[in-house]
Amino acid sequence: MFITIRNLTKSFKKGPNLITPLQNLSLEAPRGEFLALMGPSGSGKTTLLNLIAGIDSPTSGDLMIDDHDVARLSRAQLTKWRSRHVGYIFQLYHLVPILSAFENVELPLLLMPLSRSERRARADAALDLVGLSDRAQHRPPELSGGQEQRVAIARAIVHDPELLVADEPTGDLDGESARSILALLTSLSQDHGKTIVMVTHDPKAAAVANRVLHLEKGQLVNPPATPASAVS
Amino acid sequence: MKLLILALKNITRHRLRSLLTMAGVAAGMFLFTAVETTQHSLAKVTQASADDTTLIVYRENRFCPATSRLPEHYLPTIRRIEGVREVIPIQIAVNNCGASLDVITFRGVPAEDLRKYNPDLVVIAGSYENWIKRSDAALVGETFAQRRGLKIGDKFEAVGINVHVAGIIKSKESQDNNVAYVHLPFLQQASNIGLGTVTQFNVKVASSDLLDPIAKAIDETFRSDSQPTVTRPEKAFFAETAKQMIELIDFTRWLGLGAVAAVLGLVANAVLLIVRARVKETAILQTLGFSRLQIASLVSFEGILLGLLGGAIGVISAYLFFHWQSFTLGNEGLTLAITPSPTILLKGLLVALLLGLLASLYPAWRTSRQPVVQSLSQ
Ligand SMILES: Nc1ncnc2c1ncn2[C@@H]1O[C@H](COP(=O)(O)OP(=O)(O)OP(=O)(O)O)[C@@H](O)[C@H]1O
Ligand SMILES: [Mg+2]
Repeated sequence: MFITIRNLTKSFKKGPNLITPLQNLSLEAPRGEFLALMGPSGSGKTTLLNLIAGIDSPTSGDLMIDDHDVARLSRAQLTKWRSRHVGYIFQLYHLVPILSAFENVELPLLLMPLSRSERRARADAALDLVGLSDRAQHRPPELSGGQEQRVAIARAIVHDPELLVADEPTGDLDGESARSILALLTSLSQDHGKTIVMVTHDPKAAAVANRVLHLEKGQLVNPPATPASAVS
Repeated sequence: MKLLILALKNITRHRLRSLLTMAGVAAGMFLFTAVETTQHSLAKVTQASADDTTLIVYRENRFCPATSRLPEHYLPTIRRIEGVREVIPIQIAVNNCGASLDVITFRGVPAEDLRKYNPDLVVIAGSYENWIKRSDAALVGETFAQRRGLKIGDKFEAVGINVHVAGIIKSKESQDNNVAYVHLPFLQQASNIGLGTVTQFNVKVASSDLLDPIAKAIDETFRSDSQPTVTRPEKAFFAETAKQMIELIDFTRWLGLGAVAAVLGLVANAVLLIVRARVKETAILQTLGFSRLQIASLVSFEGILLGLLGGAIGVISAYLFFHWQSFTLGNEGLTLAITPSPTILLKGLLVALLLGLLASLYPAWRTSRQPVVQSLSQ
């Protein structure tokens, strides 16, 4: 299994109260699977995604990704692990506004021992893959939302991570742009073997995934309906 | 290196704010450099060093060139004292005996002796021979000439003395660059002192460790004479007679310190504003895998760049300011020329860099510790 999660619990102290957005959650996913994560607001989707992406650590339980014991890594080790193995795609793209599309995509490569020309080649290839070679020198404010998200996807894949996580990647896009982003993600999983975990509120988006998981109050529940019937 | 470029791009983000910060840093560092330059120039003329060999023989209990009168015939007696290399009698006329910003000093010397006394003297315009030939001729120090806008052939009048500029000189001894040398008898007559009387003798000794014993020997020689002397090294003489001026200049070190504190606060404030406005973006970089050290470096680089760029503007403009605009403070015939030095320039740049670093240490540390998840959802 590429992702193995057992009895994963995450709780926060909020004043005197203990909030537990994730409780004893278990889950497995093979390499290359495209997983969609649905559930009502506050059900713990982002919390789970952040644990899988290694930007947060669980309170208890196991989290193995590609044989890395992610739950036991220190903060510094997690940072290093992320820079090599994870690509994160945000709902609001989060590009650096003063950098060009190319420079944004190049950012993760600055952390690797690469020459300038190697970085250039890789960033160009990533931009090419998302179909934005002709916008390399544009800055985020000069791009449409759909284009920004594609630059963000290029940034997430430029260092060739095995795992992509996406938190409502189409949540802020119109239907047309959303469809092209979903097609891109599908191709990344099918043609490039990326394992993808995508949080979404949109059943149409969830429908492109291989499997849809439903989260409620921090626990996985049996799907109320199959993805196919959810679309209709 | 890559982080440095990123930091450079970051400070162009709020162009106006960065420029204002740098302008403030520049003003502070200008002040700092001005103070340092003054202190440094003062130290050069008052702090004894191993290659000092000049003594000044003055009339005992007299503290102004106008009242110090010594008989010229002391000259051969002083010259015979063991260890004395050269002696020159000097009559001094100044426009202002106390501390003054625009001091004009005439030094009357025996024309044929000046070169022998000071072989380092270089005539950069006009000629030494013309000076010797003409009785009302003056050899004007470079700084003096620059300040007064004097050229060869000019006539000028000061302290009731009319002279003709025959040459412009430059010397390693800073005092020479601030005075006008005229013929001794000419000055004695023009200032109504009368022939045979001088203000002081300047004595060159063989080495700096002879300064004190020879000073004692000279004073001993004339102790029971009608005009007893007091002899001191030139720098000690300056330090003693210009006490008030030195105290005033010493006080300016607090201004320099204040300027440094202001720069520190300014940069720290700018960097704090920068990181506050960029909490989320920093979280994105952290998500991409930027380490704590890299995040902290990025913030520090921005502070250092603000400090160094603003500092460079301030320090270099202060350097040029003192280079083009000559300032001299005078007291009792000795002048303090405030001259810029490359050492101070480097020191200023280094201080600016360190201030930038120091100002960003705390913001950098805090930013690198910010929790990723909470920062992302801000
Ligand atoms: N850092 C935190 N500190 C305290 N509570 C938190 C923190 N992060 C999340 N929570 C709480 O955990 C619960 C789950 O939050 P989470 O963001 O995972 O929900 P979500 O399913 O992503 O919701 P949405 O669909 O609105 O994005 C919420 O009640 C939230 O308030
Ligand atoms: Mg969420």
